[in-house]
Amino acid sequence: MYSPVRNGLIILFAALLSAPALATNYVQAAGSSLVFAGTYQGEVFTGRFPGFDTRLSFDPDHLDTSSLRVSIPLATATTANSDYDGEMRGKSFFNAAQFPTAQYNATTFRKLGDNRYAADGTLSLHGVSKPVTLQFTWTPGAHPVLSGKATVRRLDFGVGSGDWADTDLIPDSIAVSTKVVLQPAQ
Amino acid sequence: MNWKNPVDRWGPVSQAFHWLIVVLIVVMAYLGLTMTDLPNSPHKIALYSLHKSVGLTILALVTCRLLWRLYAGTPRVLDSIPRWQARVAAWTHWALYALLFAMPISGWVVNSAAGFPLQWFHLFNLPPIAHKDQALHELARSTHETLFWTLVALVAVHAGAALMHHVVWHDATLARMLPRRWLRVRQASPTPQDAHHVQPRA
Repeated sequence: MYSPVRNGLIILFAALLSAPALATNYVQAAGSSLVFAGTYQGEVFTGRFPGFDTRLSFDPDHLDTSSLRVSIPLATATTANSDYDGEMRGKSFFNAAQFPTAQYNATTFRKLGDNRYAADGTLSLHGVSKPVTLQFTWTPGAHPVLSGKATVRRLDFGVGSGDWADTDLIPDSIAVSTKVVLQPAQ
Repeated sequence: MNWKNPVDRWGPVSQAFHWLIVVLIVVMAYLGLTMTDLPNSPHKIALYSLHKSVGLTILALVTCRLLWRLYAGTPRVLDSIPRWQARVAAWTHWALYALLFAMPISGWVVNSAAGFPLQWFHLFNLPPIAHKDQALHELARSTHETLFWTLVALVAVHAGAALMHHVVWHDATLARMLPRRWLRVRQASPTPQDAHHVQPRA
């Protein structure tokens, strides 16, 4: 008996086997966070970016086909101190009115060991695009977790210009860390 | 040299505390009155930092000053001063001491409630003494300001009285808070008749 349906399935299956492996597509799930920290007058301040959004295609065995895209709204960035927030979102720093979103895109990944990887991506912030490396650990599972750290030199992006460029007051290097809980994209 | 307070005048340590704090209060008043209206900038932050550092310094100084006063004693009230005046003066002095504590402490609460760091001349940090709280911040801020104007009023009374004692009543009240021979106290006030008899020579 000759079934065109069965024949078609066999062809499809064969095609899947021979095609280059595609990384799994993930979207961000609840429980994710993107935070930053620096020092000010001898104390550590921290802040977070609520509403950031992550799209990830990742396969530890096929890093070449992996990609990461994060979009970060800046108008809601907060340090939980209204005096700081007003200044941070304003013209001298993020200028969120003109540059409402920062974007981090990476398509180059390196394996560092065990579950550790580095993404060599580009951060677009405040109208400036520059390379930023994100080091992360990858915890596989039904809801994989990407835990990463990066250092962003704020002055490279013109964040805190003019008098605010004084690094004695606010250091150039701002530590960014993230924990992204992922789920397969529908 | 006797560092403590003799019976007739304030000793050098008490005088140093007194005048140093006077100078710092003037600096604080100038900073406090001008810094708040500035637009946000590192310059504004530097002025606030200085205000906080000097305020903490005054808090430390007034603590030491009171301890020194306990140890070194106080000079006797001048015989010529009526009792009611001595009593008013004593109340004013204690109110001034209280304000010298209340000003920096209320400022510390303002800073704590706002959630700002507190650093002493870039050298070390001090912890907050209140929780971060917007309502408390507003309250402490207005208290700090009210206390300041109360201090201004009391300082006016205190300094005004000291000048009256020196210029009008010619007693040693002001001179004994200054190093010896800085201020000459006229022993007795000339009567109008005496003045009348002084004739310019031809």
